[in-house]
Formats: sequence, structure tokens, C-alpha cells
Amino acid sequence: MALRPYWKGYLKLSLVTCPVQMMPATSENEKVRFHTLNRATHNRVVSHYVDAVTGKEVKDEDEVKGYQRGEDDYIILEDEELENVALDSTKTIDIDVFSPRDSVEWIWLDTPYYLSPDDPVGQEAFSVIRDAMAAEDMVGISSLVISRRERAVMLEPRGKGIVLWTLRYGDEVRDEEAYFSGIDDAPSDSQVMPLIQQLIKKQTRHWDPKLVADPVQDKLLEIIEAKRKKTKRPTKAKSSEPKATPNNVINIMDALRKSVEAEDRPRKR
Amino acid sequence: MATARANWKGFIKFGEVAFAVGLYTAASSSERIAFNTLNRATGNRVRREFVDSETGDRVERDEQVKGYEVENGDYVVLEPEEIAAAIPDSDKTLRIEAFIPCNEIDDVYLDKPYYLAPDKMGTDAFRLLRDGMRQAKVAALAQTVLFRRLRTVLIRPHGNGLIGTTLNFDYEVRSSQEAFDDLPDLKIEGEMLDLAKHIITTKKGSFDAKAFDDRYDAAVAELVKAKIEGRSLPKRKAPPPSKQSDLLQALRQSAGMKSPAKPKRASAKADAGDGPPKAKRPSRSKRAA
Repeated sequence: MALRPYWKGYLKLSLVTCPVQMMPATSENEKVRFHTLNRATHNRVVSHYVDAVTGKEVKDEDEVKGYQRGEDDYIILEDEELENVALDSTKTIDIDVFSPRDSVEWIWLDTPYYLSPDDPVGQEAFSVIRDAMAAEDMVGISSLVISRRERAVMLEPRGKGIVLWTLRYGDEVRDEEAYFSGIDDAPSDSQVMPLIQQLIKKQTRHWDPKLVADPVQDKLLEIIEAKRKKTKRPTKAKSSEPKATPNNVINIMDALRKSVEAEDRPRKR
Repeated sequence: MATARANWKGFIKFGEVAFAVGLYTAASSSERIAFNTLNRATGNRVRREFVDSETGDRVERDEQVKGYEVENGDYVVLEPEEIAAAIPDSDKTLRIEAFIPCNEIDDVYLDKPYYLAPDKMGTDAFRLLRDGMRQAKVAALAQTVLFRRLRTVLIRPHGNGLIGTTLNFDYEVRSSQEAFDDLPDLKIEGEMLDLAKHIITTKKGSFDAKAFDDRYDAAVAELVKAKIEGRSLPKRKAPPPSKQSDLLQALRQSAGMKSPAKPKRASAKADAGDGPPKAKRPSRSKRAA
């Protein structure tokens, strides 16, 4: 499975440098994908660019990036010129801060990538950085230009490689105070706690990717298959259980007892 | 509880206990366009048009339909109602199906975070679930229809509230094990590891999102200025990779470097001052060249 790397550059810790490559950790490839068609002809619809003034088609090789200087006033920048932008973070992930693994909260994590050595020459240097982070239970904080923006990134050792996360900008995460400040912070009922713990324990499972299966995807394929065969469409998926009704505060204890009892009974199916 | 308007209102149900919650966007991605696309020949802006791939005719939005390719060039057309039929009816309930130990969760699955706050009457049950999960060090998995898509949501205590993060589906995530499968099993030990650990300790700090600046715009502005003035910026050189034979030496030198006196803040702050970005930061590569 030779996938083309999304980015190639260097990983650097102080005077230690190694060539690395990066791949997105997520992919749309396996998703049921639809194409846009022309209803009249059932041919694929493709997008292309036309000149905003003349309306004529613009070929790929004639498309060029323009930096806006004023109204209708652009400076043309070729890709090779942009390569020379004076930021080390376009080519080098220089880790200059390390932080305990738990100190960067999930809410800051934006997009994950897999980082690995790009050349056998760098394997040992890469492993040194990875293993030292793992041994100290630290993540690395650095910056990297991705899609023409400089992003804060976090590097986390994972198995034989490193997971690189882009981190959200400061103004992208909303202040939780606005949402959580009204919640009463009195300790919750200590009498009920053992029951909650019992229920949690009974329902605790190991992490497994199968827990995030997508029934809609299968249903879509069924619908497509049925339509192809021109047979009757499958009936609409029904939600299996009736809408939940909120419990009264008083009977939480009863409801929890029932829940624990229900968990004790052998499972249906 | 919260004063903002909820993006979604429904219930969390665990066992036989249910309570009303509001779900609020916790993070938004800011888009930013640094450049416009121009036609090199005329210097005019370009705009996008949708055309039929065979006839070349323009296809307006209301003439576009979704199709699934069954064989080469053969499509099954699906109307929006037909696609919607695959999604179960929304019962507005995040029904907790399992609890997962926090340290087992593969965070690569995390998609978008939402704040979950109790709706007026549900506070007691909300706090019980929150404190119970915190004590047991678990997060909860629930599935529901959110914004017309069936989503799996991971619910975890956060401060006084809960955060529900949508998860990517199994087929959307590449396995890290497979991604790193080809790498050799190199375990670093002894002096090399000790030196690297020491370097890490001297660079201990914290991530401060508020202090982070995107310097790309400023750097491009400098590039443009240079171009207008007819100056050329020096070509960027890649740092020389450490040779295997020099690695220990590089580590020794790095570990011997004086650590800065003040505690380090997040990355990239060092030269984010008012001055123009330096064309080239001091680097050892000059000497090596």
C-alpha cells in the first residue's frame, strides 16, 4: 500500500535532525461515496475554472496564486517563490517545548497525522526522539506550516511511530465557563455513588474500533443494491427504542437499582 | 443552565436513568484564504463552474443529482430523500451503550468536541454520571442522530460539565499499527536515551494556545515586499540530517547546551516580535555548507 506522503520535511530536536514524512491518519476512501451527476444526461459533473471577466475556461497550468494588494490589484506568486517564505516551520518540525502528555486537553486536538522516518539514515535519530518522549511520558510541542497556515502541533509517540496533531488556535475553542458555570458544584449524592460505580463497572468494555461501526453505511449499500435490482426499497430504519423520558430526581436511586438488575440478567440476542 | 442557545437538545440515558441536556459547539475551525486564484494570462480572478464531463455544458445546482458508481461509468441515482431513508429516526437520545477506560481510547478517532450541559431539571443525574465517570476513569459511548447524521459520541467529564466528542467511524481511520508496520523495531537505550531524556527535561514547558501566532501571513507579506522591490529572498536550505555515526555526538552537544533561564512557553514565540521575520535564522547549516 504505497500511499504518497502528505508532507515531507525534517524532525529536529536541538542538534539532532532526521528526514520525516507525514500521512493523514483519517481517510474518506472507504466511505460510500457519491458523485455529482447531471440529472438530464447522468454524466459526471466536473468543476473547472473560468476567467471571472472573460468567462473563458482557465487551464490548470494557467492557474496561479495571487496575493491581494488592493482592490483588483494582485501580486502573482509562483509556487517556487512561496517555497522561499522565511519560516523554518515550512520544512522543519523543531521541537522546542515538551509537556506532560495529559497537559494538552482533547479539546485542542484538531487533525491527526502519522509521522515516520523518510529515509533509513534517520531511523535512529527518529527513534531517539520517540523513545525519549515515551520514557518521560511527554509530548512535544512545535509549529508547522500546513495548507499555508502555521499551526501549533503536538507530537505523541505511538508504537514505532509518532502521531502528530494540529492544535486549534486559541480563539477557536469557546470558553467553557459560559456553558458550565451554572452547574451546581455541590458533591453528588454519596449514597447513590456506589450504585453508579456498579453500573459503570458492569457496562465497561475494552476499546475496540468495532464500537464505532456505521450502520448507515450498510443501509445505504442495501438501498443502492435494491434500486439497482429495481426491487422494492428496504423500509426506513426505525429507532429501536422509544424516546427516553427524563426521570424525576427522586427516583434516580430506583432507576439505578433497576439498571443494575437489568445488567445482571442475561443479555437478549 | 447555559445562556447560549443549544445546537441540539435531547437526553442522555444510562441504564434506566435519563436526563435532558443541551449540546453546544465547543470549537470552530476558522477558515482563512491567504491567496486568490488568478488566470496567469489575464491576471483576472477565476471562478468555479460546474459542467457536464461529456457535453461540456454548464450544469446548474438544481440539475445536479447524487449518483453511486456501480460499474465503470454506470451510476445508481439517489435522491436526497432516499439517502435520508438510511438514517434512523432521531429519538433525541444519547443512550450510553458502554463505558471505556480513558487510557484505552485511541484518540485518533476524535472528531469534533461539543459541550454538554444539563437542562434545568436534570442537574442531579448529570452530576452523578459526571462524578461517577470521573471516579471510575472512564468515558461513555453513545450513538444518536446529530445534525441529520448518525454519530457515535464519546462523553467525558470536563470541569463542571461534560464534553461529547463525535468519533470518526472505523473505516475512516487508518490503523496506526499498519501505518508504522514497515518501521524497524529500534529500541534506544543507554547513553543515547539518557541524553535525549535530559534534553527533553531542559525544554519542559506548556502549550499556550493564546500565545501562539500564525506567522505565515507576515512571512508572505515580506516575500511580496521583496518581490515588489526586486529583491530576492535567499533560498531556504534544509538542515543536514544527523548521520548515524554523528548521532551520539549531536546528542552530547545538545545536552551540554545551556538551558534558557526563563520557563519556555509554547513554540515559535522566540522570534514573533514586531520586526520582520528573519530571512534565515542562525543555523549550523551555514558552517556545514
